[in-house]
Amino acid sequence: MQGTLDLLILQTVAPGQLHGHAIANSIERRSGEALQVGHGSLYPALQRLLKLGFIVAEDGISENNRKARFYRLTAKGRKQLVVEASKWQKLSDAITRILAPAAEKTPL
Amino acid sequence: MFDWKRRRKQLFQEFEAHIDIQTKENIEAGMPPEAARQAARKKFGNVLLAAEQSREIWGGLWLERMLQDLRYAVRSLSGAPAYTVALLCTLVLGLGSVTTMSAIVESILIRPVALPHSEQLVQMYSEDGPGGFNASQIALSYKAIEELQRNAHSFSSLTGYNTMARPVTASDGTSISVLTVATPEFFATFGVQAKLGRLIGPGDARAAVAVVTDEFWRERLHADPKAVGATIKVSGQDQTVIGVLPAGVHVPQGTGGQIVYLPVSINASGQDDFKLDSALAVARLKPGISPKQAREDAQNVFSHADRSNAEQGKRLAMRSYQDLVVSDLQRPLLTLLGGVGVLLLIACANAANLQIGRATSRMQEMTTRSALGASFGRLLQQLVTESILVSLLGATLGAALSYVAIQVLRNAYRMQYSRFDELSIHPIVLVSTGLLAILVGVLASIAPLFSIRRQTTAPVNSRNASRTSRLAGVLVAIQVALTCVLLVVSGLFVRTLRSLEHVNLGFDPRNVTTLILMPEQQNQDPERSREIETRLLQRFETLPGVQSVAMQTDIPFSNYNVVLNGTSEVSGRAYHEGDAANYSMVSSNFVRASGIRLLQGRDFVPQDAASPAMLILVNETFVKKYLVGQHPIGASVRFHRNPGETDADIPFSQPMTIIGVVENEIQGGDLGAPHQPMVYLDYMKLPGSSFLSAVFSMTAQYAIRSPLAPAVMASELRATVAKEAPSMVQMNLQPMEDAIAQSLDQRRLALRLVAGFGVIALLLSAVGIYGVLAYSVALRRRDIGIRMALGSTRGKAAGLIMRQAGIMTLIGLIPGIAGACATGYAVRSFLYGVKMFDPASIVVSGCLLVIVFLVAASLPALRAAQVDPVEMLRAE
Repeated sequence: MQGTLDLLILQTVAPGQLHGHAIANSIERRSGEALQVGHGSLYPALQRLLKLGFIVAEDGISENNRKARFYRLTAKGRKQLVVEASKWQKLSDAITRILAPAAEKTPL
Repeated sequence: MFDWKRRRKQLFQEFEAHIDIQTKENIEAGMPPEAARQAARKKFGNVLLAAEQSREIWGGLWLERMLQDLRYAVRSLSGAPAYTVALLCTLVLGLGSVTTMSAIVESILIRPVALPHSEQLVQMYSEDGPGGFNASQIALSYKAIEELQRNAHSFSSLTGYNTMARPVTASDGTSISVLTVATPEFFATFGVQAKLGRLIGPGDARAAVAVVTDEFWRERLHADPKAVGATIKVSGQDQTVIGVLPAGVHVPQGTGGQIVYLPVSINASGQDDFKLDSALAVARLKPGISPKQAREDAQNVFSHADRSNAEQGKRLAMRSYQDLVVSDLQRPLLTLLGGVGVLLLIACANAANLQIGRATSRMQEMTTRSALGASFGRLLQQLVTESILVSLLGATLGAALSYVAIQVLRNAYRMQYSRFDELSIHPIVLVSTGLLAILVGVLASIAPLFSIRRQTTAPVNSRNASRTSRLAGVLVAIQVALTCVLLVVSGLFVRTLRSLEHVNLGFDPRNVTTLILMPEQQNQDPERSREIETRLLQRFETLPGVQSVAMQTDIPFSNYNVVLNGTSEVSGRAYHEGDAANYSMVSSNFVRASGIRLLQGRDFVPQDAASPAMLILVNETFVKKYLVGQHPIGASVRFHRNPGETDADIPFSQPMTIIGVVENEIQGGDLGAPHQPMVYLDYMKLPGSSFLSAVFSMTAQYAIRSPLAPAVMASELRATVAKEAPSMVQMNLQPMEDAIAQSLDQRRLALRLVAGFGVIALLLSAVGIYGVLAYSVALRRRDIGIRMALGSTRGKAAGLIMRQAGIMTLIGLIPGIAGACATGYAVRSFLYGVKMFDPASIVVSGCLLVIVFLVAASLPALRAAQVDPVEMLRAE
């Protein structure tokens, strides 16, 4: 779904700065491997978020002493995350409500 | 750009780090190093695709891609020189000819005349020619011009002028120049300024002053800056040069050359010094006045002019000055532009075909790139870039070619056609050529794209590419059709020229030399002129080797003809408005000497001189038009007087009696012009003092028949004139057959151009069909090899290819012939002696096409026949 990956990335980098591999791993792990995407497709999304100013990148050293680029949420990105997350929540609630009656009926 | 490079590098480093980290994790999880790296790569996915998509987000990628494509295009084109050269030649021919023709059309028809506010300049003319003795059918009388100058309010300025050829004497001797005699408002109306001295103005109406063009000043006055104040003789009258026009100003006609301008002086009877009572009128509209308003205003003045004026009741018409200058060129130029347009279409089809062929051979590369993740759009951009690059290169070379062509054309025809001295390629033409080139590039690359799309979406590396693209065949058929159109039109033009060359002249032009003389003194007594002319006639007759000599005021192919267009009333026939005939004066032995065929009646005889009756000969057309069902001999003709006109308004009131009918003779210099009713008068019968006689004796035109070599005859004639009549200036001396050839020159030029288009089209199409078949054979080698292995013969293999060629040709021929008929209709006004639907032209063009195409197809067919089945099967 368009924007899903963006939302996930924003959510992932919200606590602190992370490099690309860590973001990919984190998303993969937390989604219970439900979101299976090639790690490569993470980067166009990162570039898009960079361009929109929701995140910033800076060079650093990874935990295993490898040069890497770290991404961090900006104030603008944090605001966007709240907006997107509540939007997503509403959508999710709506879908749950639509699906609920059917779910209640089946046990009968 | 450097920023991109840095960011790109950074991105790849980041990818690498990502994969490294993953590899390390994998190793830690217990994988062997090699497998760990592979798994990490697999998990990451397509590195290039990720990079491409990331960079797409940065924006500006299109530019980077374009540069990349350009580099790639240059590399791949230089890797296929034969293809590149063929494509370039096609495009250079197509775009070059279109650029040349558009530059001509733009310079001549579209670009406003280089005069201040030229859009305000209009010509006023009479829709139906006034009676009387006119400079032109559309001239207005000086009286009317004066009325308009005084009473019409729509014009800021209005002028009348006449143009003629006259002997002009400068310090370097006497020779013929163009003379424009104009009212003093002339230069002010056109808005022209002098380069040296001053121009003729309001105070110069009766002054003996002259203005000359830059060419006259350079060639006759040695470009002397002190030439102002010099005296030249025009028709024997001294005139002081008061000014020189700037270079490139050629009012009013727009053709360059030596021109002398004199102010006109009108006498009490409304005539100028040249016995003309009318002139062409050009006016400058006041700002904000539309031509329509001006015409109504002028018509109003015109209708209320002097009641006795013969023009009363005539209607005025108006056209832009630009039309006056270039109206003759409009149709031929636009027709030629259409021709090059068709040529460009053929070139475009050819370019598309070449690209299809190339795309077919690059299919492997394309499928590989597609498999590596290149999107269809990306491949499309690559191909279009390559095609546009070649197109633009072709346009550049084509423009260079047309630059040369324009220089050549300008120098060759600057004196002959209006505005050709202004020919040049303006930026607007270059811009449109560039746009056209891009369009051609895009169109030509669209065709191969379809075949690529079909094949890239097919399973990778499937080798079923044996079916050639149907599109290529369709393109060849289109080329055949367009080529057929051009060839048929060329055929029609060739036949037109042939029928003009064999047109019945009405007399025998062989061994005839034309000599045209003019008295040096403009105001020489007509009686004396006639006496000199008659003496010369007699002297010429006695020259050794001369068979006969005729004098005619209307001699075929002369530029100095004087004819009277007179309203004519024939006895026994009610007069209808517009009944008129051309009156020409001839010497008494006209029929015998000119070699014209007498159909009925008799020639003039010396005894006629004593007869009081005015005797005339008429031509066939006169009889057909005015004497239907009547016996022409003895019929009587008189000038018609319109109501309100007096005898003074017509040449003479005496009736004329027809004594003979002669065959139609070519009139003027146009071989294809329809014949006008013609009346021949014996010049000795006109009273020497009469107005008509005075007008007719202004030039003397002799047709001398002699078996001697033209050069010998010419020197003999020249010597006789110098001895017997030193006061006569030679205007023209040339064999009649040369004059006929010259009159065909213009048509020959058009013919050569159109025939040239036909040949180029044929060549391009032959290359096109060859290319398509050659690729088809290359792709079907395997197919043919298998067929042969299964028992097919070499002949059958060749036949397969020939059949393919035949089908393409036949499919193209049908719309081609239909198109040719339509085009024949469009160019019908250029044709003479040939129907616009000419079966012979169509059959010959069709056969020529088929033959050329069979030859072009035979090479690939031969190659198909040489396929070695063993080799093909081994390759399997």
